[in-house]
Amino acid sequence: MTAIIEAHGLSKRYGAHLALDHADFTIQPGRIVGLIGPNGAGKTTAMRAILGLTPYEGSLSVLGREPFRERAALMRDVCFIADVAVLPSWLRVDRAIDFVGGVHPRFRRERALELLARTQITRKQTLRELSKGMKTQVHLALAMAIDAKLLVLDEPTLGLDLLARRGFYDALLNDYMDASRTILITTHQVEEIENLLTDVMFIERGRIALDCPVEELGTRFAVVAVNEDQTETARAAKPFYERRMLGKTLFYYETPDLQKLGAFGELHTPSIADLFVAKLSRQAA
Amino acid sequence: MTTPPHAALNNTLWLIRRELWENRSIWLMPLILGGLLLLAALFGRVDIEVPAHAGSGVGVSLLFGFGITFFLVMSIYSTWYLLDCLYTDRKDRSVLFWKSLPVSDTETVLSKLATALLVIPVVYFVVADLTSLLIAFIISVRASSLLGGSLWRMDLWLQLQALWLYLIVTLAIWYLPVAGWLMLVSAWARRAVMLWSILPPLALYLAERWFLGTDVLGTQIAGRLFGYIAVAFHARADGLAHLDGPAVAASAWDLMNPAAFLSNAATWAGAAVGFALIYGVIQVRYRRTDAG
Repeated sequence: MTAIIEAHGLSKRYGAHLALDHADFTIQPGRIVGLIGPNGAGKTTAMRAILGLTPYEGSLSVLGREPFRERAALMRDVCFIADVAVLPSWLRVDRAIDFVGGVHPRFRRERALELLARTQITRKQTLRELSKGMKTQVHLALAMAIDAKLLVLDEPTLGLDLLARRGFYDALLNDYMDASRTILITTHQVEEIENLLTDVMFIERGRIALDCPVEELGTRFAVVAVNEDQTETARAAKPFYERRMLGKTLFYYETPDLQKLGAFGELHTPSIADLFVAKLSRQAA
Repeated sequence: MTTPPHAALNNTLWLIRRELWENRSIWLMPLILGGLLLLAALFGRVDIEVPAHAGSGVGVSLLFGFGITFFLVMSIYSTWYLLDCLYTDRKDRSVLFWKSLPVSDTETVLSKLATALLVIPVVYFVVADLTSLLIAFIISVRASSLLGGSLWRMDLWLQLQALWLYLIVTLAIWYLPVAGWLMLVSAWARRAVMLWSILPPLALYLAERWFLGTDVLGTQIAGRLFGYIAVAFHARADGLAHLDGPAVAASAWDLMNPAAFLSNAATWAGAAVGFALIYGVIQVRYRRTDAG
């Protein structure tokens, strides 16, 4: 299968600041990829390049197209939700559906109406009359009614409460995701998307710091909770990060020798959130 | 971008519909204006002393006055619309939603231009026309038969229609560079669109005067902004404003001067500048997705 997104040496400069610094990555179809990074790491810039919203240097191909030059054509197969605030406040729900149905060849009107019927939203309401959570429901109904190959979500749940955030991701997984689709999500709330990802990409200072399928995390990384008396031996095995917690020290290892490490203490696969902290703190130090 | 022509047309029609949803003032403002004029005709003074020889002229002047009122309101609104149309959606970030749809920036820019130069004038034309008809009816019921009667002339109405159509076409061509400039500011500025639309030309104008001692830019801009009537109409145009004298009877056919308008080099030089600016607007719209 051909890749959905392929980036080689992807760079973007804003004046003296290099927002993307020769980033290389590939995204395969059928995956749910989390692009995770601290603020200002280049997440949003990478998204904008992928969506054809900004010119860039290097090579980038999305569904075989060059995004910046072919944005309008690309958007027939790509669907995009930036954070919840971007639906225009004056737009009425029924007109939003009419408009998207009017210009989008892959939009299924009945599907959007069906998804909206599950909510409290009425079709004659304008977006400004809706709560943030409801706005997201409208946007999600529009997006999920589009038969897109790639769905890009940029901080899609920013400013939502826990219930709305959970509802958003549940709908996405249960009603949208199947083998023919690919989802790319950026967020800095890692815990929230941890369980739905198939792949993680860490981005830091414009570069890809980690690109790994979730099922390989267990063989590529390990964290060991080590008692006081073992810390020196554990440290000698070259952890890339350590952190003290409740009288024990947590040591993080890359490409670990699990048998050897098991002797130091209790062995785990780090969560994505922990791994993120470990990887990026190490580099900051 | 390879969009089949029917898809581009379809998108453009949806985009224009979108403009009418967003900017309800496009039709609300002329309706309110028309309503106010109707109220004035219903309850205002209509027992004006009309000199017998000027009878028909009063009617023409009245309709002409309505036309000018609509026209002034429309100019002010269109200026605001053009400055706003590529700026608000960047300010409230809804541009990200619009750009997530398979609609090209060229289609977006051209549909907004078409809204300003064609849709808005046509809406004003229709509302002004209907208002004039109703007012003519009201006045002919309320006022002297002389004044009222002067409003019911078929040729007069035909003239009005022709005048409006001529205005729409010639205005669109003549003010294309102005529209292009306003849209460029609207697509480019991160804030203060009003200031950005005025300050750079003003600075250039002052710089030219101080450093070169010439006034080419000032003359060009003033000529563009205020020279339309002189280029598109015969000099007798102002004759209509007076109630006395033979000029009163001048018909719209004698006022319009399409030959002079179409053969004037300034018309086409301006249009060329306008096209260049619109091309620039599309390029800026491609690249800019944020404001503020």
